[in-house]
Amino acid sequence: MADVKTRLLDCFAAVFPALSPEDILRADHHNVGQWDSVASVTLFATVEEEFGMELDLEDLPGLTSFEKILAYLTSKVTA
Amino acid sequence: MKLIDALRIVGQEGNRELPVLHIGLVCGFAPTHLQTFLAAHFRRASGGQRVEINSGLYGDLLGNLDRLDSKNADVAILVMEWSDLDARLGLRGLGSWSPAALPNILEDARARAKQFLSAIERVSREMPVAVCFPTLPLPPIPFFPGWQGSSFSLELRSLTASLSADTARIKNVKVVDPQRLDLVSPLSERFDAKAELVSGFPYKLAHASAMADFLVRLAQPSTPKKGLITDLDDTLWSGILGEVGLQGISWDLEHKSHMHGAYQRLLHAFSEAGVLVGVASKNDPALVKQALAREDLILPGRAVFPVEASWGPKSDAVARILRAWNISADAVVFVDDSPMELAEVQTRHPEIETILFPKNDFQALNDLFYGLRDRFGKSSISMEDSLRSDSLRRAQEATTVASTQSVETFLEQAEAEFEFEFSKDQADSRAFELINKTNQFNLNGRRLTEASWQSFLKDPDAFLLAVTYKDKYGPLGKIAVVAGRVQAGSVVIENWVMSCRAFSRRIEHRSLEELIRRFNADEVVLDFELTPRNGPLRDFLSELLEAEPASHCRVSRHRMLDFLGKTLPRVAEVARG
Repeated sequence: MADVKTRLLDCFAAVFPALSPEDILRADHHNVGQWDSVASVTLFATVEEEFGMELDLEDLPGLTSFEKILAYLTSKVTA
Repeated sequence: MKLIDALRIVGQEGNRELPVLHIGLVCGFAPTHLQTFLAAHFRRASGGQRVEINSGLYGDLLGNLDRLDSKNADVAILVMEWSDLDARLGLRGLGSWSPAALPNILEDARARAKQFLSAIERVSREMPVAVCFPTLPLPPIPFFPGWQGSSFSLELRSLTASLSADTARIKNVKVVDPQRLDLVSPLSERFDAKAELVSGFPYKLAHASAMADFLVRLAQPSTPKKGLITDLDDTLWSGILGEVGLQGISWDLEHKSHMHGAYQRLLHAFSEAGVLVGVASKNDPALVKQALAREDLILPGRAVFPVEASWGPKSDAVARILRAWNISADAVVFVDDSPMELAEVQTRHPEIETILFPKNDFQALNDLFYGLRDRFGKSSISMEDSLRSDSLRRAQEATTVASTQSVETFLEQAEAEFEFEFSKDQADSRAFELINKTNQFNLNGRRLTEASWQSFLKDPDAFLLAVTYKDKYGPLGKIAVVAGRVQAGSVVIENWVMSCRAFSRRIEHRSLEELIRRFNADEVVLDFELTPRNGPLRDFLSELLEAEPASHCRVSRHRMLDFLGKTLPRVAEVARG
């Protein structure tokens, strides 16, 4: 099975097809124009489906960049 | 389909040769993932056609429906949930669930259902509509424990069942079958409470994908199969005819062969709905003739044509049946209980779908019946459907006679009657069906969506000529369609199709004559495109043009009249509508 980072990259690439892999690594909701509330809903649903887990409601407001989501998922997967 | 896969499909560029399809998605919830799944399923079903989906305001299903018209959508997709009938029927609304409130909820739901029906009727006059009625579990509103049916819940379900039935009767509207959806998406796996509260989207992703798949199948139906070739021994009936004799074959409970009777019943229903049913059997032809004459057969022998019984390879029998039907192999299903026979037919006719008749597995047989119904299912049955099998049988008789005479002599003696009707009746689905089903005499092989067809009919420059034919061998029904536009003295033919049952009757010649007569045109422009299958039409055009036809080929009035004068026979009657 691919590692967490690769799978998360796939999720971002599906939701933001215009971003290059390098852009995705640096992506946060300030520097990606398409990252609005609808994109957040789509991204979180895609991540939940891909990783087979539910994101905690309280954690959602903090998940505002690729880096933060990666750290969150890594902690959940290895917990 | 997973959401990530749907997003990838939607993220691809799409087929720029096809026009963008505008879909009006009408719902009262946030459309988010359903919109993505719809776009992806449409793309997949239509060879990459790009779609634009517009949805309306949150919580205003009726208003969204009212605002929909042909200026902003080619096709409408409506998804209703309980909360659209009354906000108290959803998790988000916090209106009272007290026992005293229940009659009022029912009353509001009834009133709202009437409004929806009337709005759907209005929209259906402008565009095709696909509808999915509530699919989520009702919330625990009634005061009964959940395992006890309450009159409140049952009345609500009865209300939506009636609304569904009334809606399904409206022309141009198709409704998702709740039973089939239940089979692929269990009720307990549909509602997503967190998504409903966080984003206003009430469905789990798998359910949203299943709904989108069904809705796209309604809005973009695939072409049904046309013919079924069946084996006899241990398939249409139980037993080997040559071994057990005429009275030894069976299809009933008493002989534990009931599923063969059920298969016959399905095939009889198919034949009555216009599906061609033929037989390919390794058997003694005389014995088969006697067996098919048995009056207790559930599939009567007269419903089967042709019957190919011989000791030769089944692939030869199948080839003869395809010639008699004059349809392409990919429109045909072959059913047999022998894997070896299926393989032999498949090798020679790779486009035919071959299906094993699982004679000893009742559950698999039951599944087979559903599968066959899906392959041959259609939304309506036309007069031509009921004529098809008989007319093919008569056509073979007529061909036998015609082979000894010139076409002109044959048509005169056949007492041929043509009816030419210029009408753009949107309610007539036969013309649309012919354009989308015909392959051999087809000007360019282009298929149309219901939306583009209706848009064409609304164009004031557009014309539609439908030709009906009958002779002493019986009626063929509406068998040819010419559609196009009249522009500055030219008749531009965009679609021209003729059923293969109507070949060799000079109907194509007559149709051109009618167009010239009607529009007094200086020339006819034909939007021809060679396809792998439209050789018969290419041959006709080559004769007319005295050259290989090119795209957008032109024929002058003078040349047309000269050609028609040399080739048209005298016929008994010509009626014009």
